[in-house]
Amino acid sequence: MTKHLLRTTAAAVVLAASAGAASAESVTISVWAGGSGPNDNYRVDAIEMAADILEREAAIRGEELDITVEKKTDNTWDDFKQAVTLAAEAGNAPHILVTGHEDIAPWAQSGLIVPVEDYLNLDAWPINDIYENLMEISSYGGIVYGLPQDAESRPFFFWKEHMKAIGYSDADLDALADKVEAGEYTLANVLEDAKKMTEAGVVESGYAFYPRPSNGPDYWQFYTSFGGVMEEDGKLVFDKDAMQRFYQFFVDAVEAGVTRKNHIGTPWDQWYAEVASGKAGLWSGGTWHYARYVNQEGLEDFFGSLAFSLIPAGEGGTANTLTHPLVYVLTAQDNEDEVAIAAELVKIASEPRINTLHAIKSAHLGIAKQQSNIDLYASDRWAREATERLLPHANAMPNNTDFGTYWNAMWSGLEAAWTGQKTPEQAVADVEAELKNSLGEAIVIR
Amino acid sequence: MNASRDIAQDGSAPFKARAVPARRSLGWLNSSKGLGIVLLMPALMLVVLFFLAPVVLTAVFAFTNMSTATGITGGAYQVSPGTLRVLSDRYGMGELAERLGQPTYIVDEEGLAALEEMGIEPGIIAGLRDDHLGETYSSRREFEREIRDLPDRPSTRTVKQISAEFSRSLANARFRNAGALVAAAEAIDPDLGDAEKDALLDATYTGWTWTTDNFRRLASSPQTTRVLLNTVFFVALTLTLFNTGFAMLLAITTHYIPERPAGIFRIIWFLPRISPAVIYVLLWKWLAWDTGFISAFLDNFGVRPRNWMLGSATNAWVFVILINGFVGASMGMVIFASAIKAIPQSLFHAASVDGAYRWQQVRHIILPHLKWPILFVTCYQTLSLLTAIDHILLSTDGGPGGATEVWSLWVYHTALNNYAGNLQYGYGAAMALVLVIIGVVLSLIYLRLFNYNALIIKPRIEH
Repeated sequence: MTKHLLRTTAAAVVLAASAGAASAESVTISVWAGGSGPNDNYRVDAIEMAADILEREAAIRGEELDITVEKKTDNTWDDFKQAVTLAAEAGNAPHILVTGHEDIAPWAQSGLIVPVEDYLNLDAWPINDIYENLMEISSYGGIVYGLPQDAESRPFFFWKEHMKAIGYSDADLDALADKVEAGEYTLANVLEDAKKMTEAGVVESGYAFYPRPSNGPDYWQFYTSFGGVMEEDGKLVFDKDAMQRFYQFFVDAVEAGVTRKNHIGTPWDQWYAEVASGKAGLWSGGTWHYARYVNQEGLEDFFGSLAFSLIPAGEGGTANTLTHPLVYVLTAQDNEDEVAIAAELVKIASEPRINTLHAIKSAHLGIAKQQSNIDLYASDRWAREATERLLPHANAMPNNTDFGTYWNAMWSGLEAAWTGQKTPEQAVADVEAELKNSLGEAIVIR
Repeated sequence: MNASRDIAQDGSAPFKARAVPARRSLGWLNSSKGLGIVLLMPALMLVVLFFLAPVVLTAVFAFTNMSTATGITGGAYQVSPGTLRVLSDRYGMGELAERLGQPTYIVDEEGLAALEEMGIEPGIIAGLRDDHLGETYSSRREFEREIRDLPDRPSTRTVKQISAEFSRSLANARFRNAGALVAAAEAIDPDLGDAEKDALLDATYTGWTWTTDNFRRLASSPQTTRVLLNTVFFVALTLTLFNTGFAMLLAITTHYIPERPAGIFRIIWFLPRISPAVIYVLLWKWLAWDTGFISAFLDNFGVRPRNWMLGSATNAWVFVILINGFVGASMGMVIFASAIKAIPQSLFHAASVDGAYRWQQVRHIILPHLKWPILFVTCYQTLSLLTAIDHILLSTDGGPGGATEVWSLWVYHTALNNYAGNLQYGYGAAMALVLVIIGVVLSLIYLRLFNYNALIIKPRIEH
């Protein structure tokens, strides 16, 4: 009916026709993954495994299909997104991208990516086993653009030994997660306990509350903790009071000497080494930190050393966490056959067994229900406990073209308040002016 | 070959008759103006290609709302829930949005005929006709489920083909051009008015449009003044303290020490410029970080380790200016040193005989002779500092809290850096254009200030 569908359809016809001819086909499929460290190799390796299966399936049908997978991982997000957008403008985008779900909105608008639902049967295995809410996060405007690659959530960590040093018993620590969930232990208590730790000298000044040292989705959790809402009915929302309380919290933390004024910009390697060795008292992290602490930083007794919970509630909000699923998306290519093959590959890579390799190795959470029936997943204490305790309360950032602009403004405001360049009131006023200026009617300011 | 034959044939003609046409055709080469243009040609082409063209493109981009979402090469027309909301909110055409945008799949004879034309298996078509003719579906997934339940179950690809043929709305459709969208819309609603068509095109267009909004946004953003002041502060301080001040100091001191050690000193001060920026900045970071040299050293005296580079805005500025200044000083040093060398030695000897101190020599001989190099270095370094980005990006990245965010870095952060994958090319280009204008204006002011014309000696030999 429409141009795009016609194009897809024509390609499908060509593919079907050529498949019947049993000709030898050799394709190269490239896959790029962003924000992927040493534990995340299965984001791209899964595509390679899928290629092997697809080749075998083709061989059984009597076709000769030879797929070469070109893999590339990027440790950071900024560089990855820059590389992807510029490569796409130059017409050299890789076939498959592993990226944050929030990219779907702008990239779909620009036509950089194409909907997976144009190529795959969403009712068939393994897609029909993927959690419904994750499928929703992979959609934009009701169209499924990507397949979830992993799920995660971002817990609040407590270093047990330091908590005990300020008077918590083992029983208190065990009950902590529930108290956080019920809103009985709040961010005000976090500041209080952090101060106690600093005064008691169990951590150095500035290390008691030691959050993520760079921009990231984590900070939206604190906005949510103070009652902020990111999007409502498809429109971005800027809640001035919530934003100010959120900024104020970090300013208070700096003033109390529990967080360093110059914390932002601390190198990640240093940060990981410090939190995994008990140099810090309380911090916000991610489920995947488990793999880093245990595999790279040598934290032997993870459960003995750390307690974890949702991000505690602040004034006017509730305890929460954020899930930031990565998604497999397909880029628009001149050669539709290659897109169809890439679609098959991401489908096979979403098999629970293959995805579990990534989930457990990188300490992310699974994407499909059947993963709890796979021993590797089910017997992993971290995956199980984190899924139960955190995932039911997880929010996600909105898939909205303008969210990036909002995010940049939020972060520059937080950074300015945190480092003392502006007061929280000033920072919020400036963010408001900036957003009115840049987004206009696309954001609700209240 | 031809030329030599011509000369041979012309051999009998009188000398003068042959010489005159040659003079006429190549005569313009004998003037320095004409020859100058020929010799400048390669340079002119490079200037046009690598300087003028980018400026022109920046100026063009600056008047658009280009971003990753809009793409650079042009847009399409996409009917998404978002655009339908724009249609009802901005244009008050909620009813139209509803009519065009509600996903509708109708199994009708028209669609079945299209399937036959496409060569879909007759069994499938018959199944659709027998079981589903006249039925309407409001979701693609639901309709595709029905297709898969047919007795002759089609493959996934065929299912997609079939459902596309029965779509009777514009929901989630993407069109290459306006004509296709209007044609599709008219196929659904033949009575579409012009105003409705315009609104539909406007709301669904995904590409960039011309706008002056970037400049309005820039003029009213609270960040603009701050970044501008940061830039002025950075350029003025680095320029006066290092790029000219410290460079002059190095040039003069090395002038007064013996040749060999002077050379060694100059080479040492040249190191920051010739070492790769990443490694050079990394050395500074090792020096300044919590676990770095300064912290480790001061730890012995009871000073708590801290990040000296990002500790406060003042610290960050000190490091940013030092890092850039050490690189910038070397160029001024080399230019000033060679200019001092060009001053006739007799002037220094005469001054010494008259009993002038070093300082008096510097003031009355060296500085007056260095007017032209100082103009050049100031001019060149102002422009280069205005666009300096690499060292700041690598060291503080504009931090802490945007304290060291200078204009060029702001352009980079806007146009090429966005956590949510939506780079703002248009807005970034508008910022860059401001920088270009500032650069041009400054150059003109400098030329006026130093009286450029007086510094140029007109060629004495000219026709």
